[in-house]
Amino acid sequence: MSSSAKPRPNAGTALFEKWNRKLHFYLGLYFLFFLWLFSLTGLLLNHGQWPISMAANARKETRYERPIDLPAGATDLDRVRDLMRQLNLRGEIDLPAVQQEPGRLTFGVSRPSDASQVRVDLNTRLASIQHFDNSALATFRIFHTFSGSRYNQPASQRDWVATSMWVIAMDALAAGLIAMVLGSYYMWWRLKPKRQLGFIILAAGYAACAWFFMGLG
Amino acid sequence: MLYRWTRDLHLYFGLFISPFLLLFAASVFFLNHAKIVPDKWLSVETFQNVQIPEAIERAQGKDAIGCAQAILEQVRITGEIGFTRFVKQTRHFVFPVSKPGVETTVDVDIDARAATVSRRPTSIWEAFGYLHKMPGPHNVAIRGNWLGTRVWRWFADATIYLTLFITISGIYLWWALKAERRIGLVLLSAGIVTFVALIYVVIR
Repeated sequence: MSSSAKPRPNAGTALFEKWNRKLHFYLGLYFLFFLWLFSLTGLLLNHGQWPISMAANARKETRYERPIDLPAGATDLDRVRDLMRQLNLRGEIDLPAVQQEPGRLTFGVSRPSDASQVRVDLNTRLASIQHFDNSALATFRIFHTFSGSRYNQPASQRDWVATSMWVIAMDALAAGLIAMVLGSYYMWWRLKPKRQLGFIILAAGYAACAWFFMGLG
Repeated sequence: MLYRWTRDLHLYFGLFISPFLLLFAASVFFLNHAKIVPDKWLSVETFQNVQIPEAIERAQGKDAIGCAQAILEQVRITGEIGFTRFVKQTRHFVFPVSKPGVETTVDVDIDARAATVSRRPTSIWEAFGYLHKMPGPHNVAIRGNWLGTRVWRWFADATIYLTLFITISGIYLWWALKAERRIGLVLLSAGIVTFVALIYVVIR
């Protein structure tokens, strides 16, 4: 683009433009692999009928029992954590929404690579574990949705530090994307010869997006 | 020539998908942090003399969706049917219907030929979250039973394919800026290290 296409900015604007441009590709490069992961797993999640998606559903199941010591702790969550330490399980804890039966403790533990359903008989001090090992492809896909929290289940909450770290990465990617998009609007607007066609394309994008709310809603 | 074309396509494709990217990005915060109570119905309406499709008790899969769609027409509702359930004991045919902005449950009493429709309007954030998750991996055999979902799937896919193009073209455009190569490589490497380290922490 020729330099005559845009008006000469003052020093403050020039500094902003320089760093806005740099930030655009710095953020893009830093988040590149995160963006690829969420893009590719998004495709897998939206196309469950694809052979590659169906292959990802296969998982290996094993069942076993282990003697346990009575779990220590004031709450179910504390006791589950103690049991996980005894059973050498790691991951996000999923406690049932209903009250636990007397003398029993049931919970799930999951992470992208595997998941376990644990039923503990506190009277016999025996834990029955149903363990699922996910395929590499399934593990890859689960990262897309691995947040440890469901917005429509108010009781669900994150309780594993690794999940919280992954959620921070998801949030950072989302914030980075928003910054990149807003910064790109400014860069495009400064390119006078591209304004008209760009405006038509941007308006088409917003119209299509708005249709899903107003046209369908 | 290649540089100019790549730069223009990067710009124009980026502008087109930018509202979708903003939607997907903003909804991440809702999906990761929000909490809602899903069963608080704001309106409940009963429709009498509903024509019950034949063999509704035995319908499965797409046939059951067909039965649900026949009832939806009578109660003037549109949206994606999540699943269908026939409750033998009460002879009720129940199914949820959703679209951006509203969630509905339809409960059909087959013997009384009455349909009870419970509606819950959703916030714009929940509507963002809904679109983010659609069509999704569940109930693949019946997903896309509403035109809106099928069209949205197409746009969601287009957003992904164009995002992949934009990232690859972005690498090319960055590499052409010789003065930015070193710092760019440092940031790319830092991103890869963060990515691999996080994956390792979660699955080890």
